[in-house]
Amino acid sequence: MSPFNKFIDHTLLKATATKQDIIQLCEEAKQFGFFSVCVNSCYVSLAKANLERSEVKVCAVIGFPLGAMSTVSKVSETIDAIENGAEEIDMVLNVGWLKSKDYQGVLNDIKSVKDIMPNKTLKVILETCYLEDDDIIKASELAIEAGADFIKTSTGFGTRGASEKDITLMKSAIEGTTKIKASGGIRDAQTALKYINLGVHRLGTSSGIAIISGKTSDSNY
Amino acid sequence: MNLSKQIDLTLLHATTTERDIINLAQEAIKYNFHSICVSSCYVPLAKQLITDSDIKISTVVGFPLGAATTSTKIFEAKEAIDYGADEISMVVNLGLLKSRNYVSILKDITDVKLAIGNIPLKVIIEISELNKNEIIKVCEICLDAKADYIETSTGFSKGGATLTAVKIIKKTVRDNISIKATGDIDDLETILKYLENGADRVGISTIIKPINNLRQLRNNKVYKQYLENSTLLEVEKVYQ
Repeated sequence: MSPFNKFIDHTLLKATATKQDIIQLCEEAKQFGFFSVCVNSCYVSLAKANLERSEVKVCAVIGFPLGAMSTVSKVSETIDAIENGAEEIDMVLNVGWLKSKDYQGVLNDIKSVKDIMPNKTLKVILETCYLEDDDIIKASELAIEAGADFIKTSTGFGTRGASEKDITLMKSAIEGTTKIKASGGIRDAQTALKYINLGVHRLGTSSGIAIISGKTSDSNY
Repeated sequence: MNLSKQIDLTLLHATTTERDIINLAQEAIKYNFHSICVSSCYVPLAKQLITDSDIKISTVVGFPLGAATTSTKIFEAKEAIDYGADEISMVVNLGLLKSRNYVSILKDITDVKLAIGNIPLKVIIEISELNKNEIIKVCEICLDAKADYIETSTGFSKGGATLTAVKIIKKTVRDNISIKATGDIDDLETILKYLENGADRVGISTIIKPINNLRQLRNNKVYKQYLENSTLLEVEKVYQ
């Protein structure tokens, strides 16, 4: 097995992804031993059914990709995803509230989700493409205070994906056991290795197979 | 007919701040638009801001991918209504449409409509991802599901409304469902073209351009009916 495989959340989030696409995603994740498949909440049940008796986990995105869903709706979507078999949750932080400097709102948004899934992994997507340097640090601090298990760079639907600078800034805010997931624009082994060497614990990518085969993918995520 | 009341002033970007929503509400009140359309996290704020006007609050659910579970879409819609939303735009589940799982799509829309009762439901079909046959199919499903509006686009995909798509939708649903054109609409002439070709409502995200060419269009015979009693004209007199 490639040393990369357990770093990878094998990801398919585009609106037009079909059931067949999700089934294929699960087959690939089993074949290559990826850590998880990352899907929209409507496909959690289908993914779970196709990953029975495998170690591959199901990761669901919440409030995705804008983060502008009301807090209780994010909580509701999370409960639904966990009931359907999700073991990890990637929620988008409320970027608008962060930009409004409503830090209490942002904290409460994340904390409300974490509170209903204390024993499962919560990743908080900061969507760094829209954030200034001090926003990235503030968002990281709020996510960590709220109990996030991971802070994650990008949705793949913003203006750009992860950058080396994002990771460095996020690392500077990390305390204790919080980890970092880099996502968006990771299409080859060289980029994956760069982030892993920076201390990233997980990679979100649609190009997992290309990465572990040493090729470059033409996917946007 | 008051043209202003056929326009939803929309702001759904991820980075939208409280200040942006306050400005949006002020613009909507100034021009007396039908509604302001905001993300569900901003419904309570928006409601406070338009308390003393007849401007309505629209919000979006399962936005912009349409890939949330049905129960999440229902929860988000009902909560928004509790906080004062008057109209709901839901995104159709495009993945299930592409999987030809029409029964599940019908159920997704029907369940949301049943849950929100008399509140108008607009179904966003994201025409930029669909071919002609898929547009017709999803329109037929919306008819069966008793949706109130078919909305062309989220504004977050490859493209917004097109006249071709609006004509296809109109031909399919005739007068049984209203049509809302959204995405890439930023001048008054385009708004009027959509209304002339079957749209009943138009979503815009800026009010600057529509106002700029108001004067040159007010004498056009075809558009006169839309502009005659428009609040836009009254505002124009005040502001020029």
